[in-house]
Amino acid sequence: MLELAIGIILGCCALGAGMAMIAGIGPGIGEGNAVAKACEAIGRQPECKGAVTTTMLMGCAIAETTGLYALVIAILLIFLAPGRFVNILLESIR
Amino acid sequence: MIKLDATVRRESRYIAGWVLVLSLVMEAVFLVIGQWDYTVLLGNLLGGSVATFNFLLMGMTVQQALEKEEKESKDFMRTSQTLRTLMQFLAAVLGVALPCFSIPATLIPLFFPRIAIAFRPLFDKKSADNSKEV
Repeated sequence: MLELAIGIILGCCALGAGMAMIAGIGPGIGEGNAVAKACEAIGRQPECKGAVTTTMLMGCAIAETTGLYALVIAILLIFLAPGRFVNILLESIR
Repeated sequence: MIKLDATVRRESRYIAGWVLVLSLVMEAVFLVIGQWDYTVLLGNLLGGSVATFNFLLMGMTVQQALEKEEKESKDFMRTSQTLRTLMQFLAAVLGVALPCFSIPATLIPLFFPRIAIAFRPLFDKKSADNSKEV
């Protein structure tokens, strides 16, 4: 029974980490679209290249943070959460 | 080796400067709360260097993507983002798995570029005001 409970905890942590990483899809799509539009803008007004690049860089960095939040949550769920949860379970049994 | 655009170089320098400043602040906070040891320093070095390198790589990608066709640039940016996320993941895993790195000191610096960008409008406004006065 204890093995089953530990297995469920580990499985749920892995599932949670996988689900958290779904958020990593968004920034990729967003950045791709932003760059495509920036290409269009530079094609129309080549003299604005510097300003467009600066705005692009900042925008991409902000968009990427969302993915980074998910990444950190996933790492914590994989490496730290299982140990803590199993400890809590063992302590409650004792 | 591609030649870095002046804009990319300037922005990367700005981010690197802020990462350095925020790293020092973080070290000071760890010292004040009495949690500082060499693992904090190593974790900070790992996280800070990965965050700065990630921004530099992103700048290089944007620079190259802007010279491509619209469709091609979209795919190029997505591939780059995936690979950069993988790099950050590996760095974070190293920070968490190896005992010589402090976990929070490795993970927190990954967000420093975002904080630097949040501060940017304040300084831009200040420099714009100064130039108006001159």
